[in-house]
Amino acid sequence: MLRKTLFSGLILSIFMALPAMAEYPSKPITVIVPSKAGGSTDRTARMITEVAKMQNKGFEFVIKDIPGSGGQKGFEAISRAKPDGYTIGLVFTPQLVAHIVSKRAKYTLDSFHVIGNVAQDPAIVVVPKDSDIKSLADLAKKAKKSALTVAVNGIGSDDFLAAKAFEAQAGVKFNLLPTKGSTEQKAGILGGHVDAAFMNLSQMIAQHKAGDAHIIALLSEERNENLPDIKTSKEQGYEVYMTATRGVVAPAKVDAKILAKLDEILAKVVASDEFKAKAKKGSIYLLPKTGADYLDYLKSLQADTQAVYDKAPW
Amino acid sequence: MEYLGIVFQPIALFTIFLGTVAGVAIGGMPGLTATMAVGLLVPFTYTMDPTMGLMLLGGIYCGAMYGGSIPAILLNTPGTPAAVATAIEGFPMSQKGKAGLALKVSVVASFVGGSFSVLILLMFAPMLAQQALHFGPAETFLLALMGLAGIISIADENSSLIKALIAGLLGMIIAIVGTDDMSGSLRYTMGYVELIDGVDFMPALIGLFSMIQMLELAGIRKKHEIDTSTLHKKQKSDPLPKGISKHIALGSATGTVIGVLPGEGATIAAFISYNISKRISKTKELFGKGNPEGIAAAESGNNGCVGGSLVPTLTLGIPGNSVAAALMGAFIIHGMIPGPDLFNEYADHTYPFIISLFIANLVFLGVGLTVAPYLARIALIPPAILVPVVSAFAVLGSYALNNSVFDIYLMIAFAVFGLILKKLGFSLEALILGLILGPIAEGGFTQGMIIGKGSPWIFFESPIAKVMWVIILLLLLPPLYSYFKHTTLVKAPDAD
Repeated sequence: MLRKTLFSGLILSIFMALPAMAEYPSKPITVIVPSKAGGSTDRTARMITEVAKMQNKGFEFVIKDIPGSGGQKGFEAISRAKPDGYTIGLVFTPQLVAHIVSKRAKYTLDSFHVIGNVAQDPAIVVVPKDSDIKSLADLAKKAKKSALTVAVNGIGSDDFLAAKAFEAQAGVKFNLLPTKGSTEQKAGILGGHVDAAFMNLSQMIAQHKAGDAHIIALLSEERNENLPDIKTSKEQGYEVYMTATRGVVAPAKVDAKILAKLDEILAKVVASDEFKAKAKKGSIYLLPKTGADYLDYLKSLQADTQAVYDKAPW
Repeated sequence: MEYLGIVFQPIALFTIFLGTVAGVAIGGMPGLTATMAVGLLVPFTYTMDPTMGLMLLGGIYCGAMYGGSIPAILLNTPGTPAAVATAIEGFPMSQKGKAGLALKVSVVASFVGGSFSVLILLMFAPMLAQQALHFGPAETFLLALMGLAGIISIADENSSLIKALIAGLLGMIIAIVGTDDMSGSLRYTMGYVELIDGVDFMPALIGLFSMIQMLELAGIRKKHEIDTSTLHKKQKSDPLPKGISKHIALGSATGTVIGVLPGEGATIAAFISYNISKRISKTKELFGKGNPEGIAAAESGNNGCVGGSLVPTLTLGIPGNSVAAALMGAFIIHGMIPGPDLFNEYADHTYPFIISLFIANLVFLGVGLTVAPYLARIALIPPAILVPVVSAFAVLGSYALNNSVFDIYLMIAFAVFGLILKKLGFSLEALILGLILGPIAEGGFTQGMIIGKGSPWIFFESPIAKVMWVIILLLLLPPLYSYFKHTTLVKAPDAD
């Protein structure tokens, strides 16, 4: 009797579980954006969910912005979320790994299942419009003569890491000026208060096109289609590469079937023409990567960041 | 002309009206800020017609800057930090039963300041933006000093100068908490991830003003007698005080200039124009006791920042403050990248947007003038109803800023700590000024020192810097002189 009850209970629970699985999602999925509403990460998230909702019947998404602390609060919230597949989130680099390296984060890369990367914003080196620095070689040459004032967006940011990498390669030392946000960097370059700045392409592309500032290098291996005449660092003989990526992750312990579904949804969104058109209009540069590839990238970035941190911790 | 046509479509006018009225409400509630409202609405404008979306957000910006003054005057609970100076003069006027007049001065000053700055934006934006670029970190430091000079002007009417300075210093010390931007290290965050960005000034503002005001109201045993007789008379017949236009003009100009410069302009602008207006006023002694001139200067000053802050935002893509930064997101989401393109390729969106700001100013003027007599009665609501309602908003608002329960505790801590300070005679206005301007001063100072490669000469080099030093001295010396004259006068009879 007992065995029979147990058995039927088991059967019942399997049947109960199956439709529950098949019915995923039975409620809206919360997407945590570890940044402020209206910012570029928030906009990326909204574009993804809009297209995902169109492509997948029955899926609803709710965006939850958790701004501040360089994304740390938001990253922690994703890692802590109940792993039921109803909370996923966006991450961005290098802050995601920088917080781990500086031992502030309450998460590691193992806390997440990486769904994939979506967008990037490549690092650039920019100088005031009337500067006599025209290339990375000029920058290195001038920096050897006297300490150049170079603006980076805060310590531990992608700008900072790129500037440090350039210093090491070129054998120079900058008079580094950490700023609060890219706005101060822009004002410094446009007003000629600094000699150069390490920034991101989207932050300066309009000013470059308008002739208010001059981008001398793109810190990547390939040129960018939005500004095809700017030479890369590789072409200029420096192996300094940096980009700010924006990807999607879920908490690590979510059911494998749900994760597979989420992986599939994101891959389909990023490949769609609607999404590409939206991204182009909103000045979001796409860099689709599968979960596995993106995880590899995150691991190598963490190792690189660790090397910089070990030399000069912050 | 075709731009006017776009603005005067019924749907456009309705959008502007909606945005502005919503803005006034948002600015008026403790904890809801224009930055937050614009940020939250930017993604929704994505599906809207770009011009309509921008008009809606512009209306919110204009309305919220004015709206902050309403609770500041009526309840001594400034809705935005830029309205703190307004509360210093406005609340005493309310207590004397002159709330209607205070509200009227505030709305007229806001309108003039706002419209003037939009006019400047429309006509001189590119030229002004180029000038603003000369303004570097060293000058930012001096601007923060000018704002901090306001501490002196808060103090000298009750001659508790030392206590006001201590309160200002305390504010700056609290502002030390958080990440040190120069080294990336954490200062006094005690392991709280919520403190990595420092102490947010909004929970502080809500705690120090809204909550304390409610605590005090709740603590009054005898019903506070407000002279209500004037409230029942016709408010509209109350004429604007004579000579007030001078202070409005001064505030409008100061606000617009400071708005053009990068940084959190509105608070600094309000305090600097309040301070200057006090210096030049013929009725100095009335400041701090309900002088409409102070309201006029402060409100035209902070609304002047609206147009000013959009100058570098639209022409160079350098947002003048956090609301302008959120607004910039709305331009970008529609593929309109700030810069010269906005005035050529996208001129049919940009110019109607700028013109719509005039309408927004007109809308809040109309709303303010018609509603003010009724609003003035808010001051008559019995504490038993008022206290719980405002307290609830204070808690909600603190939470809503960053979706963070921590900020609620922070707000309550500020209320408790602030109440003690207030009872001991320390100025909370000075404290909030230190808290907001301390980090701006610190950033400007350290960045200036780095750019100057360790030499402090950078703070005296440029012509702008020299002019600013003169203004700082003019703001500081006369009150110091009168302070020492006052103290010797007081001491003299003791010696007998």
